[in-house]
Amino acid sequence: MGIWDVITDIVEAATPWTVAEAEAAAAPAAEEATNEQATEDSKPASEEPEAEEAAEEEDAEKEEEEEEEEEDDEEEIVDPKEKFEEECRESKQCAPAKHHFEECVDRVNNGSKEDCVEEFFHLTHCATDCAAPKVWSALK
Amino acid sequence: MLARSCLRSTRTFAGAKNGAINFTKRAASSSSSGSTAPAQPVMLNIAAVASTAVAIGSIAWYYHLYGPTANAMTPAEEGLHPTKYPWVHQQALKTFDHQALRRGFQVYREVCASCHSLSRVPYRALVGVLLTVDEAKALAEENEYDTEPNDEGEIEKRPGKLSDYLPAPYKNDEAARAANNGALPPDLSLITKARHGGCDYIFSLLTGYPEEPPAGAQVGAGLNFNPYFPGTGIAMARVLYDGLVEYEDETPASTSQMAKDVVEFLNWAAEPEMDDRKRMGFKVLTVTTVLFALSVWVKRYKWAHIKSRKIVYDPPKVGDGPAPRY
Repeated sequence: MGIWDVITDIVEAATPWTVAEAEAAAAPAAEEATNEQATEDSKPASEEPEAEEAAEEEDAEKEEEEEEEEEDDEEEIVDPKEKFEEECRESKQCAPAKHHFEECVDRVNNGSKEDCVEEFFHLTHCATDCAAPKVWSALK
Repeated sequence: MLARSCLRSTRTFAGAKNGAINFTKRAASSSSSGSTAPAQPVMLNIAAVASTAVAIGSIAWYYHLYGPTANAMTPAEEGLHPTKYPWVHQQALKTFDHQALRRGFQVYREVCASCHSLSRVPYRALVGVLLTVDEAKALAEENEYDTEPNDEGEIEKRPGKLSDYLPAPYKNDEAARAANNGALPPDLSLITKARHGGCDYIFSLLTGYPEEPPAGAQVGAGLNFNPYFPGTGIAMARVLYDGLVEYEDETPASTSQMAKDVVEFLNWAAEPEMDDRKRMGFKVLTVTTVLFALSVWVKRYKWAHIKSRKIVYDPPKVGDGPAPRY
């Protein structure tokens, strides 16, 4: 790594439009190089943006975790999709579909030779349609 | 039977009608031409009536055989159409959620990868998107790949590199079929593009296994009931259960959360250029607006002298006398 690389590294670190690199482990090596070769003035410039970014990330993560903890029912994972779809199935919106499905099930149980796939489709479609936005707001 | 009875009624009706018409004609002709012999009109009538009856009968018979269309498609064969979910990354100016991609890759690796390949994705594609370089390298080195032939022409094994592609669980399609009861697990590299309904379909498929098939539904041997799969009998059993995966960012791993993450990851695998594409599209729009504004100003500039000119008709003065007459 030549002196020019060090200079470009410092410039990149100092400029606000720097691209965040995915190389996590490469950063310490760059800092060592700056310690050895560059002047002391450049060090804070190279470290500050990284520290700020890290702090911001931590804040964001904390907020997200807090939201999760509110949703999370103490280690007992409840699938929001199943929960909301169950609620939707019982709702007034899907009452006709549920009624037809249950009638079909009764008919089949009484010896009818049809299947209830179509009724099941209508009920499921109604339930998922009703639950979709709720599920998405519950999921991360 | 219906066709035949219809046929019979039309025949009698047609015969009666024809007979009546011909009878009047014959009466008229016989009255005008006197005693010329008619060319056996009864036989002609019979031939006409019979041929008409055969024609109508053939049409009826054809309709009886081929007329009604056979509606063979049932809703079950079509499969339940997936519900539209409000995917954030499908909005015009939204990127993939890279945290979700990372979780989705974890789900793929721990759950899907045991049967499904992801053969078009190299490790290098994961770098910077959902893994760091070192994580990707470490992941690649877990697998062995063939080397180039050495001096003796033998192919040895080496640990994977970033340029290698994700390993497939089976050597070839036949091996995959043999291991999965004859069903081939499709490659997932382009699956969100390859299926009608895309992300919604795959999400619905993964989370849509009911507790038990609806009453009366026929489920084939070795198949599972899934309403979203065309035909409703799918060889893949439900794989995602609550808490199957332990996310490193401690997101509660509910079934739908895992499905959502893995679908978003698969969508990334199918269109890794999406983020760039949207940015490029926005650039295009920006440049276009600038150019449009520029063109408006240029037009104003170019038309300025035309718009601001004044055309005046100044008629020549012709003496003091009256206007000339022509």
